[in-house]
Amino acid sequence: MWRAVLTAALVGAIGLLPWLSRTDPALTVLKARSADRDPTPETLHAIRAELGLDDGPWALLARWLGGLPHADAGSSWVSGAPVLPGAVQALGVSLLLMCGALVVAAGTAAAVCAPTLRLGARGRLGARRPGGTATAVLASLPEFLVASVLASVIAVQLGWLPALGWYGPQWMVLPSLALGLPAGAVLGRMLDDLLPGAFAEPWARAAAARGVPPRSLARQAVRRCVPGLLPNLGLFVVGLTGGSVAVEQIFDIPGLGRLTLHAALAQDLPVLQTGTLALVLLAAAAGLLARIAARLLIGPALRDGALESLHRPRPPAPRTLPLLYGGLLTAVIGAGLPRDPLALDTLARLQAPSAEHPFGTDALGRDVLARISHGAVTTLGTALAVSAAALVTGLLLGLLPRLSGPLVDTLSAVPPVLAGLLVTGIAGSGPWTPALAVGVVAWSPLAAHASSLLRQERATTHLVATRALGAGRWYLLRHELLPAVVPPVARHALLRLPGVALSLAALGFLGLGAQPPSPEWGLLLSENQPYAERAPWAVLFPAAVLALLGALAVTAAGGVRLPRRRARPADPAVPPVGEGVPAPRRHPERPEDLLTPVSASQTDER
Amino acid sequence: MVFIYIMRIPRRRLTAGLLLLPLLAGCFASSGDGSAETSDSAGSGDGGRLRVALAFPPTQNYSPYGYDAYNLSRLGVAEGLTRLDANGTAAPALAESWSSEQGGESWLFTLRDAKFQDGEDVTAEAAASALTHAAAAKPAPAAISGVKLTAEAVGENRVRVSTGEADPVLPLRLTNPSLAMFSPKAYGKKGTVNAVGTATGPFELTEVTGDRSAVLNRFDGYWGGRAQASGIDVRYVSDGTARANALRTGDVDLAEAVPVAQAASLGRGTVHASSTARNTSLYLNTGSGAFTDAGLRAAARAAVDGATVAEGVYEGSAEPAQGIYGPALTWAAGKRLQPSGRAAATDPDGRSITIGTYNDRPELAETAQVLQQQLEKAGFEVKLEVRTYARLEGDLLDGKFDAAVVARNMMTDTGDPVTVLDSDFTCDGSYNLAFLCDRDVDRLVATARTESDPVQRQDAAMKAEAAILGTDAVIPLVHLKAVTGVRPSVRGARLDPYERELVGVGTRP
Repeated sequence: MWRAVLTAALVGAIGLLPWLSRTDPALTVLKARSADRDPTPETLHAIRAELGLDDGPWALLARWLGGLPHADAGSSWVSGAPVLPGAVQALGVSLLLMCGALVVAAGTAAAVCAPTLRLGARGRLGARRPGGTATAVLASLPEFLVASVLASVIAVQLGWLPALGWYGPQWMVLPSLALGLPAGAVLGRMLDDLLPGAFAEPWARAAAARGVPPRSLARQAVRRCVPGLLPNLGLFVVGLTGGSVAVEQIFDIPGLGRLTLHAALAQDLPVLQTGTLALVLLAAAAGLLARIAARLLIGPALRDGALESLHRPRPPAPRTLPLLYGGLLTAVIGAGLPRDPLALDTLARLQAPSAEHPFGTDALGRDVLARISHGAVTTLGTALAVSAAALVTGLLLGLLPRLSGPLVDTLSAVPPVLAGLLVTGIAGSGPWTPALAVGVVAWSPLAAHASSLLRQERATTHLVATRALGAGRWYLLRHELLPAVVPPVARHALLRLPGVALSLAALGFLGLGAQPPSPEWGLLLSENQPYAERAPWAVLFPAAVLALLGALAVTAAGGVRLPRRRARPADPAVPPVGEGVPAPRRHPERPEDLLTPVSASQTDER
Repeated sequence: MVFIYIMRIPRRRLTAGLLLLPLLAGCFASSGDGSAETSDSAGSGDGGRLRVALAFPPTQNYSPYGYDAYNLSRLGVAEGLTRLDANGTAAPALAESWSSEQGGESWLFTLRDAKFQDGEDVTAEAAASALTHAAAAKPAPAAISGVKLTAEAVGENRVRVSTGEADPVLPLRLTNPSLAMFSPKAYGKKGTVNAVGTATGPFELTEVTGDRSAVLNRFDGYWGGRAQASGIDVRYVSDGTARANALRTGDVDLAEAVPVAQAASLGRGTVHASSTARNTSLYLNTGSGAFTDAGLRAAARAAVDGATVAEGVYEGSAEPAQGIYGPALTWAAGKRLQPSGRAAATDPDGRSITIGTYNDRPELAETAQVLQQQLEKAGFEVKLEVRTYARLEGDLLDGKFDAAVVARNMMTDTGDPVTVLDSDFTCDGSYNLAFLCDRDVDRLVATARTESDPVQRQDAAMKAEAAILGTDAVIPLVHLKAVTGVRPSVRGARLDPYERELVGVGTRP
């Protein structure tokens, strides 16, 4: 019900978009049809009459809704062609691309987890030093950069695979790689976090004792952990289907991302409504499938509350790596501060790194090092503020899963550009609009994460004990629940920091956020992307700094903290970050470890 | 217990998943043309097929009344009664000759012997009906917007086109691709036009795959002779880097509008820069804000330097501007007048201005940043607003910015030099980005508009140009060149300053 209300509100908001943002759709439609055409009053009037715009938004919306039961989603305002066939085709393309990306992501995740699986299945996990830098770097790489590099190196220079189009399986490889590698790194990171807990569970020890081969043991450990990832996997599925605009652009793929982007810019409402509705339905379906899959995988155990907590057998040791990364980052930023980030010198454009310009120069001859370091303050400042706000919102709404679950699903289906336009329409375009537009969406994975953590935490034995001792609800919340939930969700938020910085910059083309010549990092990356082949340093250095930030967030997450006093149980969306949560040393002979926590169903309605 | 359950391995689901995969294969774009696999020998008959990547996908199913008309014209599908030649004058196309009647209120066109691609003859009746349909289209095609155009057949092979009041540039207007001729069969009930197999050009649109690709075959009955290429496989690739990549991987023979950033990686033999009538200019808002002060406008003009932009941003695929009409318009060179009546520059003294521009053409944002530095050196305080054009135009036309960096085609719709002055620099202009309302300019433009002799019309236009530049409302920065990627093996690609031709009878792979 709540979900239906949300969907209706979203579709209604799209229907009102031009009126909210006070941008005449006749003008944007005219420009989409023919960019050179002068918007004379007669021309605009003719278009308004043609589209029936003078009837007002409600009549238009009603007309579109009226057609839906007859499988008629109206006609595109730009081309006049029926919307549905085109949208269905684009959805098909996007789904296929998403499947390819998931296969790559699965492979990447497997590679990330392989060491843990190998050691864990042989019971030698204790010897392993936590890694994660490579994964964190991969996870923080922007998709469009991976796509550009793949297209120009593998397709153009080596000629191994086609670079352009969508005609058969070999056209799928490169775009799937571009989308799947970062996604797989994140998923692999999350899985890798859960696995040690699974290997420490009694069944694993029993199986090992019984002589079950390590291979089977590893397989079962994966199976034990995958349900915990499913909610996040669902979010990825929807995000990859509707939000891979950059990759679709670079490889010229006729997918849903570009369809909705163009429709949003042209304010082609029938197309935009149909595309968004398709994504909302996909999000609902993905959520449903995730629940069914979780039930199929560990259903009986869930029902009987027979799950163990997936916490780590021992806390990760504090590490020196974050200090190294932090120092490097500070050094880079410090080195560039005395330089001028805005001084243009078109004679010195696209120069390779040299003593004078350690990171080279960009297309207008500006010093890349100076731009990176001066951009750090604004980039990190805004991104941190947005992340903090998203964290607070995510936590608060995570406390109310019935409210936030459908909201999370629905929001995950809103293309970022549409979110930007809607927020601008409602809030006007002020200095904080881009932050608001990103924040509106950024909290949702955190809320999903928080609510699943809470669900687990509520069902643990120590909570039952505390409650039995007479603790009230507030006491439980403040002293038991929040302390257990906040740190992992905060680390999750930290891991998403580079992504937030990039999405802030991605709204720049709507006139929101940082404007040139500001050296904001996302802007740096996008303005130098066309030159990626001629002047790789102009994109690689900013990307490297972003990756460094990601690595810092990941390694610092577990390493700088002291061991906590209490165990934290399984969670379906463990931070892709970090080394998991430190837990007390477990002693199998202690009786309480053999007690099974009373686990609420993991499959509440979301 | 958990353990025992987990031991059951879900092979069935795996198999089911694998069986679903072929179903998904239906989700690949139907290649239709098979252009991806087409080799040169795939064409029918002699001459290979040409593979072309265009930048702007059809937005209205190849309706000739919008921008798609230019695609039809560039691909050699459709043509009108007249066409624009390299000197910017009307040349014969489907009409062999023409003459004006009643002091220019109507024109009589004599048709040549030609056939539509569906086999019908191009009769006076059909031509008149095609023009009548175009005149009735809503919104009216840009070339005849504001003109009451009627057409009637006179005998077997002559068409009379009337315009209510005298229109000295009607033959020029009719060069516009929107006024191309289609067979009577093409015109549907609701004002739609089906361009598939109904036009008159050397190539015939045979198969259209949405806005992704199209297949064209040679039309053997073309009046101008058989085309050398047996057909064209067109793909629409909107991303500039992707177009350049398509050329480099050999997926296409011809790619239009290669971005400046990619031109260098294509190699000398492949990149062809040709002058166009497109300028990048800085429009100063004379209606409100800082630049209502002519002295500040003069200061801005003195501060900006187009040569830096041409070299530093366009890397030579543009040349410093000489005026509103660039070198692509060959007639303009010898007629240029010095701008007169310019104000003396005053000291900007830290006046804050906002420059708006759009990033649909990546060079514009870079240009704006170069200008920012130049203007700040001169003492202005400059802020930039860069958006996608669709989000910018409203504010641009509302005068929200003090200045705007805009790339504008000076000859787009009619091929008449006066039209653009009328819309861009007169009080009632529909695209008056400078908000210029100057009595002198209006008078000179009005004079130019009534001039019927082409040469005198050009002279009058140059006079108006000098007056406009004299107000400093617009500062032309550079004249752009179109960068077309052409594989070295391709012969006869037509690089047209008016961006109306690309493939012609003589083009072969």
